[in-house]
Amino acid sequence: MTVRLARMAMGSRWELVLEGSDETWLRAVGEEVLNEIAYLDSHLSIYNPRSAVSRLNARAASGPVQVEPRLFRLLQTAQRLHAATDGAFDITVGPLMEAWDFVHHQGQLPKPGVLREARARTGMHRVHLDEARRTVQFERPGVQIDLGGIGKGYAVDEAVAILREKEVETAFLHGGTSAIYGLGCPHDAEVWKVAIERPGAGDDPAADDMVAVVTLCDEALSVSAVWGKAFEADGRIFGHVLDPRKGEPVEGALLAAVAGPSATEADVLSTAMLVRGRDAMNMVKKPPLRSLLLLPAGTDAGYDIMEWDMPLV
Amino acid sequence: MKKEILIQPTGGRLSRRAFLKRSSFATLTGLITSDEAETAARRQGQRRQEGAIACALIGFGTWGREIAATLAEMPEIDLVAIVDTYEVMLTRVRRTFGDEVATHLDYQAVLDDPDIQSVIIATPTHTHREIAIAALEAGKHVFCEVPLAPTVEDAQAIAEAAAKVADTQIFQCGLLFRSNPQYRSIFQFIRSGATGSPVMARLQTHLKESWRRASPNPERQRAQNWRLDPALAPGLIGELGINQIDSAFWFLNELPTAVTGFGQIMQWNDGRTLPDTVQSIWAFPSNLHMIYDATLASSFDAAYDVFHGASSTIMIRDVKAWMFKEVDAPLLGWEVYARKDDFYKEQGINLAANATKLDAQELKPTDDDPSLEAPLWYAFKEFADNHIYGPFPAAAGYREGYNATVAAIKAHEATLNNTRVDIADDLFMMS
Repeated sequence: MTVRLARMAMGSRWELVLEGSDETWLRAVGEEVLNEIAYLDSHLSIYNPRSAVSRLNARAASGPVQVEPRLFRLLQTAQRLHAATDGAFDITVGPLMEAWDFVHHQGQLPKPGVLREARARTGMHRVHLDEARRTVQFERPGVQIDLGGIGKGYAVDEAVAILREKEVETAFLHGGTSAIYGLGCPHDAEVWKVAIERPGAGDDPAADDMVAVVTLCDEALSVSAVWGKAFEADGRIFGHVLDPRKGEPVEGALLAAVAGPSATEADVLSTAMLVRGRDAMNMVKKPPLRSLLLLPAGTDAGYDIMEWDMPLV
Repeated sequence: MKKEILIQPTGGRLSRRAFLKRSSFATLTGLITSDEAETAARRQGQRRQEGAIACALIGFGTWGREIAATLAEMPEIDLVAIVDTYEVMLTRVRRTFGDEVATHLDYQAVLDDPDIQSVIIATPTHTHREIAIAALEAGKHVFCEVPLAPTVEDAQAIAEAAAKVADTQIFQCGLLFRSNPQYRSIFQFIRSGATGSPVMARLQTHLKESWRRASPNPERQRAQNWRLDPALAPGLIGELGINQIDSAFWFLNELPTAVTGFGQIMQWNDGRTLPDTVQSIWAFPSNLHMIYDATLASSFDAAYDVFHGASSTIMIRDVKAWMFKEVDAPLLGWEVYARKDDFYKEQGINLAANATKLDAQELKPTDDDPSLEAPLWYAFKEFADNHIYGPFPAAAGYREGYNATVAAIKAHEATLNNTRVDIADDLFMMS
C-alpha cells in the first residue's frame, strides 16, 4: 500500500510517499509530518511577520531576545556550519540580497555605497548567541537573519524524526525537489533512486538529460543550483546566489548536490559548494558524505563534473 | 435573563494582594543566598527573570507544543514542568528542552509542587474538567484551552469552580482573539457603529486533512483520536471554530437563541461517525443571523470571518482586517488616506490595529509591524500581567469560555442530528 500526500510550504511543493499496510494510519502519520513542516515554515519564515525569526529581526538589534530552544539550537547549528564552510554559508546574507535587489525582483547592480553599507550589516560574527540565557542579540541595527539556506533541510530532519517515532519503515520526502530524504528502502526496489538533471534540461527532461542517479537508503540529498533569478550587466550574468565573503554573486559553479545522513547539513553544504566552486570538493570529501559539483566549461555539455562517491550516468 | 458578555481591559490596577506578593518576593530575593537557591538558579541556566511566573504545561500534543514554544520566548513566564500521559510526548519534551523543564506522566505532580504558581491545560477536551477543578482546588492559577468541555455540565462545573476563587486566583481560557490587539481594534470599530447596523455574519474554516492521529500503539491511537468521538469533543465547530464564533458573540454583543446544523461525511469515510463537513445557521435576539461552516475535505479559501453592516462590511483574515464600504455609506474621513487592497472587483480599506504607531515609525499600514506577536503570545502576556497586577477578570475568563463552549456544544448537537436546537436564555446563566 502506497499513500501520497502533498502540501505547499516554504515556497515549495512538498511531497511525501509512505509505504505500509494501513492506508488510514499512513495518511494520519503523513498529515502529522506535513503539519510539522507547515509549522516550521510559519515559525522560521521571514515572510511571516509573526514568525519567531521575524520577531528576532525586529528586536535583536535593540537587546537580547529570548527564543525557544529549537530555534536556538538551529541558530547554533547555522553558526557551526558557517565556520565549517569557511563563511560560505551565512544566514545574515539578507542585506546583501537586498543590495543586489534579489529579494523582490530579478536583481540589478547595487548603487554606489549601498553594497558597502550592506556588507557592514552582514556576517555571522554580528549575531551573538548566549546559551545560558537562550538569547540572541545582533551587533547593530540592520542585521537580519534568513534561514532559507538551512530551513528546508532542517524541516526534512524534523519530519524524519516524526516518521521514525511513529515507526514508519519506508518513506520518501522532498521539498521542492531540492531537499530530499529516502527512509528505509522501497518495497519493490533495493534503494530509493533520485535523478539529477543537467542544467537547463527543462520541465520534461529526457533520459540523457540526467547527470547522475543518486541512491538513497536512510539518507538525505540536497541539490542546489544557480538558475533562477538572474540579470545581465556589463556582459556578465549575475545569479542570485551570493558569496557572503565577497558580497557579490558567485561565479564558478552551476549545480551542487550533497548526500549524507543529515538533511540540514546536506542543505547547507550544497549551497556552500556553489559559493566555493572548484575549491569546495575538499570541504565535502568526508565519508559518509557523497557529492557532485558542476562547473561551467567550454565543453560540448557546457560544464565539467566533479564528484565524490556519487556515480554519474 | 441572559448574562451580559463582559469586556475587560488588561493591565491597569495593582491589587493589594499582588502588591504584597511582589513586595514579599523582592524582600526574599534580597535575602536568600542558600546553596539550594543557587543550584536552582544554575539549573535554570540563569534564564529565569526575577519574578517570572513558574508555570507548568499539562498536555504536549500539537497545540501544547505551540504553547510551550511561545512560553519559551517569554522572559516573564518560566516554564518549569510539562506533563503528558504518553511517554513518547515526554521524550519529545526532553528532545526540545533538555533538562530545562521537569517531565511528569501525572498532572498531580505539578499540583503538589508549591513552587508552581500556574498551570496551562492543553489536554483533550473531555479531560479539562477533572484537571482544571483539581488545579483550582490546589490553589493554582489556570489557563484552560477551549472548548472548556464536551458537555454543558462539565463546562458549568469548571466555570463554577473558577468563579468560586475568582477573588484570589486567575482563570483564563484559550479564546485568543479577546487578547489580540487587532481584534480589539475591530471590536471598537464595530461597536462604534462605523459599519452601520449589523446585517449578518459569515465565518468559515476550511482544511484538507483527515484529522486522524497515528500512533504505533493501538490503545494510544484510540486515545489520541478523541476529537473524532462526538461524545468526547464538540466536533468541528467546537474544536476548529470556537475562537471565530466567540469573536462574533463579542463583536455583536449577543449570544445565540438557536442554531440549525447540518453535518455530512464527504471525504473521510474511514469508519468515523463525526461529520467532516458542517454548516450552521445561528439566530440572535436582534434577528441577526450568522452562518458558520467548516470542512476537513477542501482547503479552498481557508479561514476567515465576514461581518456585514448596512454601511460597510469587515473581513478578517490571518489576523488582518479590511473594510468594504457601501457606495451610499457616510464618509468617515480617514479612509480616504488609508491603504487599500484589491479583492477581485472590490477595494478593501486596510484596518491596521496600530496605524498611528506605524505612521510614527514611517511604516505603511501594510508593512510588517515590527512589534507584531503571535495570538498565543498576546494571550499569555495578558495571563502574565494578571499575575503581576491582578487578579482581575480576564478578557477571556471563565464566563466567556463557558458561553462559547455551550454555544459550540449546541451547534455540535445540531450538526449531528441535522436539526435546529433552541438555546434557552438561562443556559448562558451560571448558577
